[in-house]
Amino acid sequence: METALTKVKSEEFGGELIQLVSFNLEKEEYGINVLMVREIIRMLNITRVPNTPHYVEGVINLRGKVIPIINLRKKFDLMDTEYDKRTRIMVMEVVGELMGFIVDEVSEVIRISEKEIQPPPPVVSSGIEQECMAGVINQAERLLVLLDLEKMFTADERRLFSNVA
Amino acid sequence: MAIDCEDQELLDGFLAETTELLEKLDDDLISLEKSPEDADLMNRIFRSIHTVKGASSFLGFDMLVKVTHKTEDVLNRLRKLELTLTSEIMDVILEAVDLVKTLVADIKGGDIIERDLEGTIAKLIPFLSENAVEATVLAPVFAPKEEKAAPADTQAPAAEPEPAAEAQAEPAAAQEPKAEAKAEPAPSQQVAPAPQPKPQPVKEPQKAPAKGGGEDLADNSTVRVDVKRLDDLMNQVGELVLERNRMIQLHSDYQTGLNPAEFGDDFGKLSKRLNFVTSELQMQVLKMRMLPVEKVFKKFPRIVRNLARDLGKEVDLVIYGEETELDRSVVDEIGDPLIHLIRNALDHGLETPEQRLAAGKDRTGTVVLSAAHEGNQIVISIKDNGRGIDPDKIAKKALDKGLVTDEQVAAMGTREILDLIFLPGFSTKEQTTDLSGRGVGMDVVRTNIRKLNGIIEIKNEVGHGSEFILKLPLTLAIIQSLLVEVEKEVYSIPLASVIETMRVSKKEFHMIGGQEVLKLRDSVLPLLRLQQTFGCHEVYTDRDTCYVVIVGVAEKRIGLIVTRLLGQQEVAIKSLGKFLSNLPGIGGSTIMGDGRVALIVDPIGLVGGAA
Repeated sequence: METALTKVKSEEFGGELIQLVSFNLEKEEYGINVLMVREIIRMLNITRVPNTPHYVEGVINLRGKVIPIINLRKKFDLMDTEYDKRTRIMVMEVVGELMGFIVDEVSEVIRISEKEIQPPPPVVSSGIEQECMAGVINQAERLLVLLDLEKMFTADERRLFSNVA
Repeated sequence: MAIDCEDQELLDGFLAETTELLEKLDDDLISLEKSPEDADLMNRIFRSIHTVKGASSFLGFDMLVKVTHKTEDVLNRLRKLELTLTSEIMDVILEAVDLVKTLVADIKGGDIIERDLEGTIAKLIPFLSENAVEATVLAPVFAPKEEKAAPADTQAPAAEPEPAAEAQAEPAAAQEPKAEAKAEPAPSQQVAPAPQPKPQPVKEPQKAPAKGGGEDLADNSTVRVDVKRLDDLMNQVGELVLERNRMIQLHSDYQTGLNPAEFGDDFGKLSKRLNFVTSELQMQVLKMRMLPVEKVFKKFPRIVRNLARDLGKEVDLVIYGEETELDRSVVDEIGDPLIHLIRNALDHGLETPEQRLAAGKDRTGTVVLSAAHEGNQIVISIKDNGRGIDPDKIAKKALDKGLVTDEQVAAMGTREILDLIFLPGFSTKEQTTDLSGRGVGMDVVRTNIRKLNGIIEIKNEVGHGSEFILKLPLTLAIIQSLLVEVEKEVYSIPLASVIETMRVSKKEFHMIGGQEVLKLRDSVLPLLRLQQTFGCHEVYTDRDTCYVVIVGVAEKRIGLIVTRLLGQQEVAIKSLGKFLSNLPGIGGSTIMGDGRVALIVDPIGLVGGAA
């Protein structure tokens, strides 16, 4: 949890506030700590990389840096759809490496108080692995799943990447 | 208290200079053995040793002083022709120089280890017949040293990070005073001999643990760059800035209504200029990273001399092209393979003088070591005029050792059979000696050359000798590459590994044991369909011709089947990051002119997978 939620002090509320970037995947809303996000870019040409896990879409040229792109839909075993004009790549720094994540749409940056974060429910219906959920945020009309991408690439995942060799 | 700045600088200077002198010394000594009457050479050697001695005594390295002093005495007698140079004397001198190297390496490692000096010095002494003379020379040098060394030890821990070494030094101090560079030499002394260790622009802050041998004297953490090269670089950067300004100007002109035709014209000129400046710049930077291959070559005369004596063979080592420059990273890696190849040439290649005479050759065998630039590659060759490699013998040995099967051998051409010598565990020696027989050497050669994306070729003539040719890329950061298309995807193959390309009809492919092959002149070439390896979507199903890119990795050859060839381009290698670093057959990526990423094929991974 600590890694995903860097605390922001706010004078207004006097409590712990965090800022999240919210994005959509298959009509569900997710949130990710704003400090993890480097930039949000439109889709561009992706070069396929052979012999990688299916959710690795390939690599892109981000101003001279080559970074891997992961399709979050595929990663979470959601139905694959065509990219449209709302599709975005969120470039984030995960365990010290820049990576891009393809999401359906990026909506806004929201501020929430840490108290609003509830532990993830024990049963998750969609394919998101339990461990990369940092929590759930229940605000009046919306339900936000807070993701911890660092956990997404924990031992299991890295093993997978190195196993490819 | 750490060594204060000034002293550290002195020490760095001392180390840089001594290292350089010692490197040259080895070479000079071997030359001296060949032409003992060369007075210039003799004097140069004498001066080198003398300089080392002077500098070390100034900095208080007493062990060094002791060894160099005795060596100098022997050399002095040689110089005055009181002694004639024999190989025994040379052996002892070389041993002493080795000891000096070890001591310098210790100092560089920041940790002085008590070494046995007496053994070597005792060997030097018989050549100094007049002991009285030696004693008088010794007295003034060592007397003041003793006094100084005693208080020195209290300060020594500051300079020596290892307390263990210090503890050891205490009891030894009386008989073998030793000290690190420190503020100990009186300030007055510091001023007087100051010009001796001449100030070097190079810093050597390396504090790596000292290695046993004196082999590792070359320092890799710093680069010495010719000021002229730096100036040239600055000029080029200036040009680049001008071109950038021109570009900005052109853009603003365009926005304020320059007509497109004129703009196109100007832009064309500009891109030509820019192309010129960047390639110049690239060359300049590349050059700064370059080292003459001499750095590696110069230790070989010594090795060859010792080996020849051990093996009872007579060998002439001829070196060409030692001024050829190549990238530091490459220089670091080729030392070991070359040693193994030279060892092999002497041990397996060359015959004993008697055998040579019987075969109607000169008594003395020749080993030619040469380096040259060839396009974007450096070609290093080791050639001997010995007995050559007998393919039948190789095949038989490999069978005996169970490294290959009968069928495999039957399917092999001469080339493939010769390649068997690279297999780990292969050796033609019945008995393992300290020189050879474990079957490791050629494997080392192969591994290192692979690491460098190099190619090994063997030319062999039974009875007349063999030649090993290493083709290495000039640098590892920017490479020439062949762009190929595989079912609409673009891949880049390092040109250094490409041997040839050809257009082939698919009918010419054969199957042997489930492996697609192509008969190419006298050899059978295994093929790899990149489309399958990389799981590309098959787009062209109706084509019956395709291109085969023949790549070589160390001694292996393999044909890659691609859809078409797109051309040659110089590309900068970009890493794929650690998440994608272990992909088989992919060595990295590069960004093409249109901004897209193209993957760089890693022939090593492919060859490994196909074998």
